[in-house]
Amino acid sequence: MSEKTDSKVDRRHFLFKLGTGAGIAGIATQGVASLRSLVPNVSYDAPTTVKLGVPSDFPDGLKFLPDERLFVFREGNTFHAISAVCTHLGCTVRAEALSNPQVEPVGGANMRLTHRFMCPCHGSRYKGEGTNESGPAPKPLAWFRLSLSPDDGQLIVDLADEVDHSFRFTI
Amino acid sequence: MSLIARARKVVTGDPTAPSAPGVRPVPFWSLRPRSDRESGDAIASNFLLHWFPAKVSKSSLDWNYSFWLGTITAALFLLLTLSGLPLLFLYVPSVERAYQSVKDIEFVISFGSWIRTVHRISAHLMVVTVFLHLVRVFLTGAYKNGAGRGQRREWNWVIGVVLLLLTLFLSFTGYLLPWDQLAFWAVTVGTNIAASVPFIGPEMRELLIGGRTIEQATLIRFYVLHVFFLPLGVGVLFAYHMWRVRKDGGLAKSDREATLETPRAVAPGKTKTYTLLGVARGTAPAVRASTVEAPDLTVNAVPDLLRRAWIVTLGTIALVSIASVFIASPLEEPANALVTPNPAKAPWYFLWLQEIVTITTVKIGSFTVNGAFVGGVILPGLLVGLLTFWPWIDRSPLAAAGRWFPQSRRTQNIVFLVIVVAILVLTFIGTFMRGPYWQIFWPWETWPAIPSRI
Repeated sequence: MSEKTDSKVDRRHFLFKLGTGAGIAGIATQGVASLRSLVPNVSYDAPTTVKLGVPSDFPDGLKFLPDERLFVFREGNTFHAISAVCTHLGCTVRAEALSNPQVEPVGGANMRLTHRFMCPCHGSRYKGEGTNESGPAPKPLAWFRLSLSPDDGQLIVDLADEVDHSFRFTI
Repeated sequence: MSLIARARKVVTGDPTAPSAPGVRPVPFWSLRPRSDRESGDAIASNFLLHWFPAKVSKSSLDWNYSFWLGTITAALFLLLTLSGLPLLFLYVPSVERAYQSVKDIEFVISFGSWIRTVHRISAHLMVVTVFLHLVRVFLTGAYKNGAGRGQRREWNWVIGVVLLLLTLFLSFTGYLLPWDQLAFWAVTVGTNIAASVPFIGPEMRELLIGGRTIEQATLIRFYVLHVFFLPLGVGVLFAYHMWRVRKDGGLAKSDREATLETPRAVAPGKTKTYTLLGVARGTAPAVRASTVEAPDLTVNAVPDLLRRAWIVTLGTIALVSIASVFIASPLEEPANALVTPNPAKAPWYFLWLQEIVTITTVKIGSFTVNGAFVGGVILPGLLVGLLTFWPWIDRSPLAAAGRWFPQSRRTQNIVFLVIVVAILVLTFIGTFMRGPYWQIFWPWETWPAIPSRI
């Protein structure tokens, strides 16, 4: 008799634990699923490889491309591209033409620096090749790889591919 | 008696119904009670009178002790909830239509501009009053426990700090909703600060804005936080905050009287303790009969406390409502991810942080730490951490609690005030003295003309 009662209590206890456990597991799974749904699987952000137009569209000197937040520089047949995204907190820097451009060695070759960059958010300043000069910016503006599109000859920038200051793209 | 019979007696107000405590002959209480019984019912069934104790210390009602900043904050939150309701019907949380819907609220919808301004000023004022409330509680050491049992004032202080953060976040999420230039760039800066945390920062930002760029996913996230989760959090914590004030025996000032008042010769009375329907263990803070009964130290909550609470609440509502007729809420150009306004400023209550992130980029050898991390994460984190745990750090004597500028808390009050003043000065500089490219200008100086593009 007592054995029977014990086993009954055990079964009830077991079922209680099972039910509680299942409940907690169910709620936890649903919670995890709900939270996971907030982490996007597909990015609808703009692609990082962008066609910028044929090289002849670019004047000598600087052209600002607001959509890509990018400065494209041209010196004869040589191109390089500098990001306009401030390395401090991501505002778009503005280029200011220098009254007396200077020639300085950049990445092993001389370069004519015609502009400097200034950030409207926190006043960071960058030299013409993107080096941070003053203000809170922790590092230089990024340089991106340029190439030519094989199909229609347009200039292509890869905004995911940072290059160092020796990069020049010559056509 | 069956439930139905009892309900019939209550509804019909049958005067022959048996009277017993808690059984009321009329369903609603009367503003003009005709008998003692009716006035008793009016008190027993009035929600506010469950909120307040029967008797309160007279001096804790002083205008110039608490300045009633908590009550003003609560009134502003009520006003925000009420003015938010029509906006909930009118605003469309989509990047294509958000700006247009706010523009409609501002220029097309009847009284829309007024409702939006009520909402906006209340939000700004709430940030102010929550902050001032915190300053008051700190300076008067009101997070200190007296002699009452079961007091947890330090935890109510922690709840208060959380409420401050929730208020700031509520205001910040509301800032984005108009989807204008101001909104877009304030959120760009704000979320990039989150991204500057080492290792987990970029993922945190991605989760917060639902992608890598500020887009539709960001807007809907901020919207849902703004209209549901954050108000819910504030509502729940506010209720608990108020309950704790009651349970801790009122303001620290009344506690001070109860514990420090020299016992006087009064007729031997019972010591009164109040239990809260068995919810609380033990008894609520024992209020000694000598003080609670002393007619020169205590007043009835009704009408003294209630009258002042009403004056403050209605006064706040009236002031905000009237001021909103004369103040216009700004709406800038639609959000444009391609053009950063010059200068681009965060909401004013974050401008002291913007000042700090501007000056805290440090170089250690060749290693550079982004000011966004130092000034945007570490420093505010330290400040909030210190604030949170201050009740456990403060070792001043009990006598320092519940009054302004006690000698024994002089040093910590001065340090605290220096930090407060520094924050205010930085806020002032950020608001009035930063021009294009974040350069310093005097408030009366005109900014140089800067071409709008490049």
